[in-house]
Amino acid sequence: MKMTAIRLAGILGGLMICAMSVRAQVTYDRILNAAHEPGNWLTYSGDYKSWRYSTLDQINVSNARDLTAQWVFQSASLGQFETTPLVIDGVLYGTGQDNRAFAIDARTGRAIWRYQRSLPDKVQPCCGMVNRGFAALGDRLFMATLDAHVLALDMKTGNVIWDVEAADYRQAYVFTVAPLLVKDKIIVGVAGGEFGVRGFIDAYDTATGKRVWRFYTVPGPGEPGHESWAGDSWKTGGAPAWITGSFDAELNTLYWPTGNPSPSDYGGERGGDNLYSNSMLALDPDTGKLKWYFQYTPHDLHDYDATQIPVLLDAVWQGQPRKLLVHANRNGFLYVLDRVNGQFLSATPFANLTWAKGIGSDGRPVIAPGSEPTAEGTRTCPGALGATNWFSPSYDPQTGLLYVASSEECDIFSGAPQKYHEGHDFMGSIYVPASGEKAWGALRAIDPLTGKKKWEFKYSSPPWGGALSTAGGVVFAGDSEGNLIAFDARTGHDLWHMQLGAAIYSSPITYSLDGRQYVAIPAGGALFAFALPAK
Amino acid sequence: MFRVLYPAATVVRLALARRNRLILSAALICLSAFTVPARAQQADAKNPLDGNPAAIREGSSLFRANCSPCHGFNARGGGRGPDLTSGLWIHGGSDAAIFRTIGQGVPGTEMPANQFEDSETWALIAYLRSVSVKPAGPVAGDRARGERLFWGKSACGQCHMVKGRGGRLGPELTRVGVARSVEYLTESIRTPDKELSLSTSDPNNHYGIPLEYETVTAVTRDGQRIVGVAKNEDAFSLQLLGRDDQFHLFLKKDLSEVLHERRSLMPAYTEQMLNHDELQDLLAFLTSLRGWE
Repeated sequence: MKMTAIRLAGILGGLMICAMSVRAQVTYDRILNAAHEPGNWLTYSGDYKSWRYSTLDQINVSNARDLTAQWVFQSASLGQFETTPLVIDGVLYGTGQDNRAFAIDARTGRAIWRYQRSLPDKVQPCCGMVNRGFAALGDRLFMATLDAHVLALDMKTGNVIWDVEAADYRQAYVFTVAPLLVKDKIIVGVAGGEFGVRGFIDAYDTATGKRVWRFYTVPGPGEPGHESWAGDSWKTGGAPAWITGSFDAELNTLYWPTGNPSPSDYGGERGGDNLYSNSMLALDPDTGKLKWYFQYTPHDLHDYDATQIPVLLDAVWQGQPRKLLVHANRNGFLYVLDRVNGQFLSATPFANLTWAKGIGSDGRPVIAPGSEPTAEGTRTCPGALGATNWFSPSYDPQTGLLYVASSEECDIFSGAPQKYHEGHDFMGSIYVPASGEKAWGALRAIDPLTGKKKWEFKYSSPPWGGALSTAGGVVFAGDSEGNLIAFDARTGHDLWHMQLGAAIYSSPITYSLDGRQYVAIPAGGALFAFALPAK
Repeated sequence: MFRVLYPAATVVRLALARRNRLILSAALICLSAFTVPARAQQADAKNPLDGNPAAIREGSSLFRANCSPCHGFNARGGGRGPDLTSGLWIHGGSDAAIFRTIGQGVPGTEMPANQFEDSETWALIAYLRSVSVKPAGPVAGDRARGERLFWGKSACGQCHMVKGRGGRLGPELTRVGVARSVEYLTESIRTPDKELSLSTSDPNNHYGIPLEYETVTAVTRDGQRIVGVAKNEDAFSLQLLGRDDQFHLFLKKDLSEVLHERRSLMPAYTEQMLNHDELQDLLAFLTSLRGWE
């Protein structure tokens, strides 16, 4: 009897341990309600609305000046460290450059496992051997690789559970995106807009790795939109989809933006609007069926990818409560759309731009005459790197402001016809920074509904780091000079900064452990974590 | 699990290429379209793509992606590398010699070995030939008189260093005779504001633009003005080398203003300050500067 009781206690103890590890399972429900679990960071943008906002408030306007480094993790490669790590029940999971990945103790920074998938010789990412992070479900992590594979890794070990080839890397198909988990599928979008790929968005079954659907962002013969490409130009049309989208469970709609048509800066052989390049796509996540689209920059000639994070807001718009989608676009306009039907509501410039005189009531840009690239070169703003880029904006419901890292840089664009050759650069242009002009940048706080700028903080050069807002009234962002900066969300006053020694190419996250709030950001080859001093 | 995937040099080249592909994306003509029959190891190898317009275009984009960080956007020289349009080839100007320099680098300098395919190297050489000028003949002036001007009346040495002697505010000139054309030097002397010289770039900032030799004035809260060249700057601090040859390391919160004047600290040497003959003498001295040898 006594023995049984001890045994029973043992079993119960075992069950409790089991219960704890069960809690470490990520469920779709947890991600759906990620905003209510601020101790963790469960999906790329923090939650499906992509606010990159946390209700953690331990770090606030009065104490942010006391922030202190807690640990530094070295990833073992230098350059553009773009990951947004996930934090799940005390463990931080990130991806690095060169197909690397790692799990670390989020309290100490000590590595738990490291993974690296070997890279074939000829992978062709346009802009660095980068990766932006994982998606998670159950005890699995999902990673999309530079050689265009999609992997499921075991959370405890980094072991590969399944591995599927999405496309042929030798044709310059590349993944840099952090996948998005929706229900039992993970969604990824391909990169390769500088190489004349045919863009696509894929969904894979998380259990088996089987592809459930593919949406080609360049429609094939017989499909609607195909007529927007002259001749055979659709075959090399680009329109990649390399930034993580957003999801509205109530509307069962996935919002995923697309990038530039190929070749990016010469349009002579791709007459037409070039659908669905530079667009917001609303897709059914179960089937991949297109619900609606909105094209921001038709027949683009300046590399104005729309691959910026779609921010989902519910707000009163002209007296009516509406479900909105806000998008600070690389072309320099901040757009508001109705996310139920894609209706265009407004567009306001948030940076200096010369390519368009404005956006018409139909949502189409009114192109400024003489802004097209010529053989001799035309100065156009924003430059090819855009008024903003892939790094995340943040929406703070307390201030009602959208924080956007923006650039002020103009380029001389010169375009020329170019023959496509599989696996090689296909851009049709040379663009260089306009000489004699000093490029700069800023973090801007913008009312997303009116487009009015509330404040800006000037950076010495164009930023490549995004923003995080928190309930403590503090916004965090990184600049290209290597500073992680804490701002007063209301005023833009800088409360604290730390020089991390290398340009920041990522957006911060926050999490909590043992009642302490942490802020984490990569820079150079290292990942840094900050917190207030332990009491 | 941690296989080394590339030799280090390849990684550097890839990193540079990737960085510049975006900034300076350029029309790449397909490489395999060129048939390049022979390897270029022979000392008398000739560029099979010489004058080929498609190769020149390809070479220009390869140049911008891989070489421009040091040699400047238009091969006219950057913060670290010499002007490659001057027609002066200190490490050999034959096709085969330039091929070797690109492939093997220059030991003892910052020029690295590069791993281009042969056709790419030839395309680069075709591009460089297309932008090169015929080397100017010897400058008419007197080298010794030029040297006296440099250290004396014209006071160039107050801001420029040659073989360890001189000032620090402006670019170092020990190799300027092979690094810059006579035309460039003349422009820099007569109109230094026209194109500010580039300083070095930040290897951690892949999309960054190098700092320039630009006049920066820091105004302190008590109204003091310190003029110099910014060695670095961010939103919070300024690292200034002052006209007094001292570092002035400021926190911006201690400054009321930082003025960027978009002009060089160097005065424009007009005809009154430096007449035609004196200019020729000075150029004779500058073009004689070919390194430490």
